[in-house]
Amino acid sequence: MQLKRRRPGRTRERLAAASASLLAATLALHSDPAGAQNADSAHTSNDFGPGTLYSELGSALLIYQETGGRVMAIEPSASLTAHGADGEELTFGFTLDAVSGATPNGAVPSDQTQTFVTPLKLKGSCTTVTTASGGSQVVCLPPTQGQQNSAERLYTTPPNTLPVDKGFRDHRGAFDLGWSQPLGPISLVGFGAGYSLERDYQAITANGRIEQTFNANDTTVSLSVNSEIDSSFPYGGIPEPLTAMDPHFKDVTARQKTQLGFVLGLTEVLTRRWLTQIDYSYDAQNGYQSDPYRFISLVDPVSGEPTNYLYESRPWNRTSQSVFWENKLDFDPVVTDLSLRYFKDNWGITSKTAELSERINLTQRTYLEPSARWYQQSAANFFHYYLVDGAALPAFASADTRLNAFTSMTYGLKLGFRMTPRTELDFSGGFYRQMGNGHPAEAIGQLKQQNLFGGTDAAYVLLGYNWDFH
Amino acid sequence: MANQAPQLLAKSISRAGIVFALALACGACSTIGPDPWQKDLMARREMQPNPYPLEVAAAEHIYFSKEASSGGRGFAGGGCGCN
Repeated sequence: MQLKRRRPGRTRERLAAASASLLAATLALHSDPAGAQNADSAHTSNDFGPGTLYSELGSALLIYQETGGRVMAIEPSASLTAHGADGEELTFGFTLDAVSGATPNGAVPSDQTQTFVTPLKLKGSCTTVTTASGGSQVVCLPPTQGQQNSAERLYTTPPNTLPVDKGFRDHRGAFDLGWSQPLGPISLVGFGAGYSLERDYQAITANGRIEQTFNANDTTVSLSVNSEIDSSFPYGGIPEPLTAMDPHFKDVTARQKTQLGFVLGLTEVLTRRWLTQIDYSYDAQNGYQSDPYRFISLVDPVSGEPTNYLYESRPWNRTSQSVFWENKLDFDPVVTDLSLRYFKDNWGITSKTAELSERINLTQRTYLEPSARWYQQSAANFFHYYLVDGAALPAFASADTRLNAFTSMTYGLKLGFRMTPRTELDFSGGFYRQMGNGHPAEAIGQLKQQNLFGGTDAAYVLLGYNWDFH
Repeated sequence: MANQAPQLLAKSISRAGIVFALALACGACSTIGPDPWQKDLMARREMQPNPYPLEVAAAEHIYFSKEASSGGRGFAGGGCGCN
């Protein structure tokens, strides 16, 4: 998540154009007059599936917008899967991301104007004392050794307002490749790899999977292993944890994180109408996990006024476990999908998730799918809304809302069309809301009057297109 | 917290063993599940475990970047610096 001055909306425009082209191309490519004419009659006779040679093209476009001018994201993605006649499968996929908007910087609101600074590298010489730039000011800093043209980006937050950084902007490109096939007596063996690159973050993943089916394919047991190596190289460098906000570039420019996890799964066809799946996951992460751009306020013990802003500090190790249980019930023409998840980690976070969707097949070619998701998490044991000036600093502290206790709800609606027996187009829309405690009992001074919860509301639109072809 | 990792791993492996034992028990119980000629409904796209992977991935990306939990349906983490 790099902070950089660019012409606003340029990448978003390019991504929107690319997404439209991608969807238009796939829509044009699928054109199959004979298939379309026979769509109804051929609806039930489909020569696509296990034992046949065919390919699948999938594409999706996500547009996500948070309320109050906060984060906006455009995310097109596509995947191509080639199926062999003997169960082989080769998949290639890619995802692009353009994210911009204001994002909370971690500081608490105050009844006074607050000023924040971040490092800034100038391309030319710093001759102007101050210039305006997207809600921020560029301020020249006195030359220091090795940083002759250094400057800072300065932005202010009005009284009684949640501090947000409006300079947030990022792009991401990611692709993944996977192969799987039956191997002798083993039902399925698979391998995959992925690569993701942002301006300030890189992730390399590798995974393997083994699957065995029993009982005339009614029972499937699977084991998947995933490893990941991430590199964080934030704009301005890696700040020393719990040190004061500083506009100078830091000496350490990059940190790494490694991740190793596995998922043990059981899928069972219980009856003609009931499919159930249970996954147990374990995941261990080791390395730099702090958000290098996020502050935590240091406040006066009596007035609650901010006295300084420190960079957050998170533990280097995180282990988590989760149990996920999904049920699909076909009450033709309605298909119910109910899933539950319990998550726990060694940061003190536990969460519960319940998701329900009802797919209503209106005709053989159209369906409607309302859905709802409920999520609740507890706070990390190092989450603090703020730290008190004069008190001993803890080893770890973060004011990131994502580590606070909150409940979220998502309501969604999807409309799908089977254009031909081989193609499907769907539109989804939804609303996401986070609800948390903005007035903790321990608030002091002016903080009692402030809403300290930095959660968000968001809306999204998702367009999907799938095409099976020979 | 680093010292807790081996115990957590051991605990996880033992729990995974229980799940695996249950799976084997299910495998041994051949009376569960329909016969092959009764799987017409299971053949439908909407009854597959993850019929729309790109759309699920997009939704999971939203949740991963706004919440502290990830994984369950698949691996934890998101291959990005968004959390």
